[in-house]
Amino acid sequence: MTTMLRQMTTRGTPYLFLLPGLVILGALLSVPLYKVVEYSLYDNVIVERNPTFVGLANYTNLMTDPGYWSAGFNTVVFTVGSVLGHMIVGIGLALLVNADIAPRARTFFRSMLILPWIFTAVVVALNWQLLLNPFGLINYMLQWMGLTSEPLDWLGDPDLAMWSLLLISTWRGYPFIMVSFLSGLQTVPRELYEAAEIDGAGFWHKFWHVTLPQLKPVIFGVALLDLIWTFQLFPLVWLSTGGGPGRATEVLSTLTFRLAFVDFQFSQAATVAVSILIISAAFTLLYLRNEARRL
Amino acid sequence: MIKTRFTALALAAATALTPLAAQAAEIEWLQWFAAENTDGFYDELVADFEAKHPDITVKLVTQPFGKVRESIVTDNAIGVGSDVLGLNMPWTKEFLDIGILEPLDEYLARDDNSFATSDLVEAPLGKIDGHTWMVPLNAFPFVMHVNMGLVRQAGFDAPPATWEELAEQAGAISALEDGISGIGMPFSSQPPSNGPILTFLPLLYAHGGRIMADTTPNFDNPEVVATLQFLKDMNDAGAIAPGAASRTGGVDLEEFIAGRTGFMISPGVHSSSITSRNPELEYTLVRVPTNGETAYRVHGWEIGIAADSPNKDAAWTFVNYLLSPEVNARAAKAANALPGNLAALDAVREGADETLLKQMEILSGDTPVEEMRQSPKAAASWSVMTEEIQAMLRGDQSPEEAAAAVQARWLDLAG
Repeated sequence: MTTMLRQMTTRGTPYLFLLPGLVILGALLSVPLYKVVEYSLYDNVIVERNPTFVGLANYTNLMTDPGYWSAGFNTVVFTVGSVLGHMIVGIGLALLVNADIAPRARTFFRSMLILPWIFTAVVVALNWQLLLNPFGLINYMLQWMGLTSEPLDWLGDPDLAMWSLLLISTWRGYPFIMVSFLSGLQTVPRELYEAAEIDGAGFWHKFWHVTLPQLKPVIFGVALLDLIWTFQLFPLVWLSTGGGPGRATEVLSTLTFRLAFVDFQFSQAATVAVSILIISAAFTLLYLRNEARRL
Repeated sequence: MIKTRFTALALAAATALTPLAAQAAEIEWLQWFAAENTDGFYDELVADFEAKHPDITVKLVTQPFGKVRESIVTDNAIGVGSDVLGLNMPWTKEFLDIGILEPLDEYLARDDNSFATSDLVEAPLGKIDGHTWMVPLNAFPFVMHVNMGLVRQAGFDAPPATWEELAEQAGAISALEDGISGIGMPFSSQPPSNGPILTFLPLLYAHGGRIMADTTPNFDNPEVVATLQFLKDMNDAGAIAPGAASRTGGVDLEEFIAGRTGFMISPGVHSSSITSRNPELEYTLVRVPTNGETAYRVHGWEIGIAADSPNKDAAWTFVNYLLSPEVNARAAKAANALPGNLAALDAVREGADETLLKQMEILSGDTPVEEMRQSPKAAASWSVMTEEIQAMLRGDQSPEEAAAAVQARWLDLAG
């Protein structure tokens, strides 16, 4: 009996140390998660003192709501466009700042190029609003170069708003890819490049046949992570366009906020939030599988 | 022995509870007013109140205007709502439906109030569902702010008084040079996305139109269509600043202050920002150009009491203090607005600048209108207006179609 108790104490001690962390994590994650799922099963909550249980009716409504599908489509365009933008600009800049130049210059460029990452969404949105204003710098430059005759309303024209948002998102998000890719570049053995050079490979050949294959797992991992973050991105979109003009840039996260805090339809908002959760969870599983495979 | 112990216990309990009994009631006041008045006026006001009412302490909770509405709703839902609430008239019906507000009829009928209800600005007092729900701390009409320098440069001596003059002068100012616009129209979708209630409604009221028939949406009427047509014509003529669909109220104000816009329709209270931020601007404010009607959109900062407040009497004592003519005059002067208690008008008039005197003239002679307070979903309603006006201005629909679309979507919202 004493031996059993001693064994239990020895084996249980690590779990006791884990307990506070588990309790906090549990409270912070599972309670809100449970509440959101629960809210989505009622006719309305928060503003309704006696909510009625409606089962999956909110989900059925959502499936037939064109606004939801339109926001879903915009979310896919925004997410895929942003991730592609982050990858192309991030990888390109990582290659540039990895070049064999004076160390001081290299440090300077690396520091400068990482700046967009440290600005808050509010600062980024406000700056780009000023730049993209009809009387802003970008329109001035375009007119000065003779590329447009009239100022363009980049954030107010439905045909341009999503492109403008992608530009803002790309500027804000490339540093993460750049930093990840840069750290990956340091791990590629120099011998591989030397061997390629002996075989007569130029810059592009080395990039396609050495760098990219070597960094494929890194690229796949950060792209998935970026996909998960961007898919549920809210502040940058809300602060830059508010989902407009009309609903041209309405994504699922802004739709959730609009339903909750503009329309006071908290249960509908919870339903959209659950749909975002399911899709994000699928991406997260994919990411975890990829990481497990790398290990 | 038992008796002695019982007595000791009772004495101990009484001693322990004594501080509680003597403790001041603490009330919380959630508002955005102090965020727009950064010189500490509201802290001083609260200190003055506490000195006069040692049994009540007031916790001032200040948030930006755009955050207050959602805070009131969510705080109320989880039972941590404030006792006294800073309110905006358009929120009234929404909050009633949720049960956030305490009816004030019984409080207003008290004999020991520091003010007469008949002296209060009338618009926020109007009964909805048979009760009064808020009282006015201050009031200001929507006006048209004018850059007289640009008006003169465009060849005119006086600001426009009619729609026709407005269109003519705004067009002429836009033609002056690149980067200068006749009038700004903030129809951005960005939160709070309320451009139409800032600019379209004041023009509509000055044309004699309305958007509601009691609590029923009534948007597709000829006056609304005429006002939309007026906006579209000005836009097509280049009189409106480019980029209306991405122009926020904040940008509109900044552009006017910077001297790049001839006219701006917004609350009169903005005059203090304009004169303090750009004293060089040749500035004046006038009544929103009319077509013969002298109705204006009235706005103000209102106060209510939370239905769930455990300290309603203490909350009313504070509201009563704020509405007394002396305190109300101070609050109005601090915001460069008109007092909610009209008995304080003379005190406010003393030493008032020209812009405030002009607002007083509008407020005393013209008809005040505020319709959004009857809308069951005000924020969603003005968001819909914004979207349909955007589509009209870019030529995707006619004014008639825009009016019909808003009406249909409003009916949908009303359920």
